[in-house]
Amino acid sequence: MSMVPGLGLLRGMALTFRRFFQPAVTIRYPEVDADIAVKYRGRLQLLHDEHGTLKCETCFQCAQACPIECIDMGGTDTKGRYAVHWGAAETYGERREESALRRAGREVPDDPYARFEPVDVAAVDAILEEHEHDPHRMLSILEAVQAEFGHLPVAALKRISHRTGAWYAMIYGTATYYRHLRFERTVEEVAVCRCTACLMAGGGGLAAAIGAGLRTELGRPTPDGRIRFAWLSTHVPGAAAPLVAVDGEPQPEVTAANATAWAQALAGEHPATRTVH
Amino acid sequence: MTAVTSYWNRLSIPSRVLLVAVPAVLVLGAIATVALVLILPPLVDFLAANEDLVRFVLAATVIIVITIPTAFVIIYLELKVIARMNLRVGPDRVGPWGTAQSLAHGFKFLSKEDYTPRGVDVPIFTMAPVAVFLATIMSLLVIPFAPGLVAQDFNIALLYFFAIGGLNIVGLMMAGWASFNKYSLIGALRAAAQAISYEIPLTLSVVGVIILAGTMSLSSIVEQQAGSFLDWNLWKQPLALIIFFIAATAEANRTPLDMTEADQELVAGFATEYSGMRYGFFFFAEYVNVFVVSAMLVVLFFGGWNAPFDWPFPVAIALDPASLGLGLLFAGALVPVIGTLVLALPFWLGSSRISALQALVLGFILFNVLAVTAAFGWAFISVDWVAGLVWMMAKTYVFVFIFVQMRATFPRVRVDQLMGFAWKWLLPAALLNIFVTAIAVSLTANR
Repeated sequence: MSMVPGLGLLRGMALTFRRFFQPAVTIRYPEVDADIAVKYRGRLQLLHDEHGTLKCETCFQCAQACPIECIDMGGTDTKGRYAVHWGAAETYGERREESALRRAGREVPDDPYARFEPVDVAAVDAILEEHEHDPHRMLSILEAVQAEFGHLPVAALKRISHRTGAWYAMIYGTATYYRHLRFERTVEEVAVCRCTACLMAGGGGLAAAIGAGLRTELGRPTPDGRIRFAWLSTHVPGAAAPLVAVDGEPQPEVTAANATAWAQALAGEHPATRTVH
Repeated sequence: MTAVTSYWNRLSIPSRVLLVAVPAVLVLGAIATVALVLILPPLVDFLAANEDLVRFVLAATVIIVITIPTAFVIIYLELKVIARMNLRVGPDRVGPWGTAQSLAHGFKFLSKEDYTPRGVDVPIFTMAPVAVFLATIMSLLVIPFAPGLVAQDFNIALLYFFAIGGLNIVGLMMAGWASFNKYSLIGALRAAAQAISYEIPLTLSVVGVIILAGTMSLSSIVEQQAGSFLDWNLWKQPLALIIFFIAATAEANRTPLDMTEADQELVAGFATEYSGMRYGFFFFAEYVNVFVVSAMLVVLFFGGWNAPFDWPFPVAIALDPASLGLGLLFAGALVPVIGTLVLALPFWLGSSRISALQALVLGFILFNVLAVTAAFGWAFISVDWVAGLVWMMAKTYVFVFIFVQMRATFPRVRVDQLMGFAWKWLLPAALLNIFVTAIAVSLTANR
C-alpha cells in the first residue's frame, strides 16, 4: 500500500503500457513452427528394441534431467531390480493410493523402501558421519557402504539420500557408473575364461554347459540373483585350460562332462562341490 | 433473328457485357440528365427554403452513419490493444492485420438467429435495444467535433447530454423487464442501480465546469478553453476531471466498473435472453458510448477541438482557383498526368528490373499519396474545422485507448465496493468540488 491513493492503478497502467510495446510471444502455428529441440517427442514412452526387450536401463538420467521432477521410477527393470514406470505418479495404479494419501495429507508408506530388506541404519550413519555427510564424497561413501554390507542395499542408498540431501537418482547414477559397485547380493561370480587357449580347449562348450546348469546365460545373473555368470577377462596364470573360476579362483576339477551337474549343484548351493584353495 | 443470335454467340463474355452496358449507360444517363434538369431547380429552392430541416436530417443521418465505423474501430482497437498488452498478436486473419475483424463480428451477429423467447413482452423486448442505441446516438448529437461541426448547438447542451444519457437506463430496464426471466430482471435492476448511482457524481462533477464557464453550451465551453493546453479546464477542475472519469467509466459500463455486464461471472445480466443483432445492438451502443464519453471528456476538460498549443505564426494559404479561369481546366487535366509521368520516371530509369507499366503504376500511387497529403495539409492549415476535427478525434481516441487499456489492466470491482465508492467517496468529492469552485469564483468575481 502506497501513501498516494491510486498510485497502484497508475503502476498497473504503466505496466500494461510497457507491455504494449513489447514483442508478442505468440507463435503463429500453422505458418511458423515452434522452435523445439530435435529430440523432443512431447511424450514419455518406454521404448523396446527389436527383440522386444525394454531399452530402459534405469540409469535415472531422465529423472535427473527432468526440470519439474515429473519422471518417477518403480517396478522391476530389465535386470530384475526395480519395477520401472514413467510419468506422474498419479497415472499408475501402483502409485494411485499413495497419491490419494498424499493429497489427503496423510503419511505415505514408503513402499520401495519397505520392499527391500531393511539395513542397519546406524552403520550407514556412522559411515556418513565419517564422510561429514558430504555428497561430493559420494563414491567413497558408497564404497564404504559396500564394504560394510557386501553390496549396496536400496535402504542404505535411501538413507544416504535422506541424510546428504543428494538426489536418489544421482546416487543411483553414481552407483551404476562404477562397475565395482554392486546392487545384487551376489556373493559369487562364476566365470569362464575367454582367452584363445581356453576357447581352443573347449571353453565355449563348457560355458554353455555351465549356463544350462545355472539356468542363465553369459553376462546375466541366475534367476535368484545370487550367482553372476560372466566371461573371465584374463587367464589366471598357471591354470589349466579350459579355465572356470569362482570369484577369481580356478576350479580345475570342472570339465565339460561334469560342468552342468557342477553348476546345478552350485546353484542349488551344495558347499561340498566347491573347492576353495 | 438467326443472324443476331449467331453474332451474339460468337461474342466473348466481356464483349457481351460491353454491348449491353454501354447503350444502357447512355440511355440511363440521358434520362437522368433530363430528370435532373427538370427536378434540380425546384429541389434546390425547396432545400434552401427549409435549411434547418435539411441541416437536421443531414446531421442525424451523418451521426447515425458514423457510429458504425466508430464502433468498428473501437472494437478492433479493443481486440488488438488488449492482445498486445497481453503479449499476444490479436486478430490477424480477417483483412490486413485483422482490420476487418469487427466487420466479421457484425456479419456474425446478423447471420445469427434473432430469437424471441416465449412469454416475452414482444414490443418492449424489441424496442429495448433501440432505446439503448437511441440514447447513445442522441447524446452524440450535441458533441461539438469542430467549429461549426456540431449536429445541434444547444445552449443547454450539457443538460441535454446528461438527460438523454440517462435514458440508457430505461432501455436496460425495458430489456430486463420484457425478457420474462427473473435473472434478466435482477440484472437490469443491478445495471440501473449502478447507472443511477454514478449518474449523480457524473452530473455533479461538471457543475464546477458550468460555474466556471457560465454556460451549458458545449461550443462555448470549448471556445473558452482556446489557447494553449494550459488554458484547458483540466488545470482548473482536476478533482472534477477525476470524478467525471471514474463515473463515466461506470456510465459506459467499462471495466473495472462493468457490473451491468460482468460477462465472466454474471451471464450478461439484462441481455441474457437476447440473441442475434438485437444482442449486438446493446454492445454496439456500448462501444459508441465509449466514444461519446471520451469525446465529452475532451470537450469538458481537454479543450475540445483546440490545438494543445498556439500556432506560432498565422498561416492561411488562400487559394483562389477561379482566378485561373480556363487554365484551371488544363491544370486539372494535365497535372495528374504530368505528375504521374514525372514520378514514374525515376523508377523507370533507376532500375532495369522495373517495367514501364510497373513504373507508371508506382508513379500513379505516389502521385495520389502526395496529392492527398498536400490537399489534407492545405485543409489542415487553412480550413478551421478540419484542424479542429483532427485535434478532437486525436484527443478522443487517446481516451478511448485509455478506456481499452483499463480493461486490459484492472480486475472488476465487487458490487458493494462499486456502490460504496460512488456514494461514500465520489458524491462528497463532487459536492466539495462544487463548493470550492463556487467560493473561488465568488471571491474572484468580487474583486
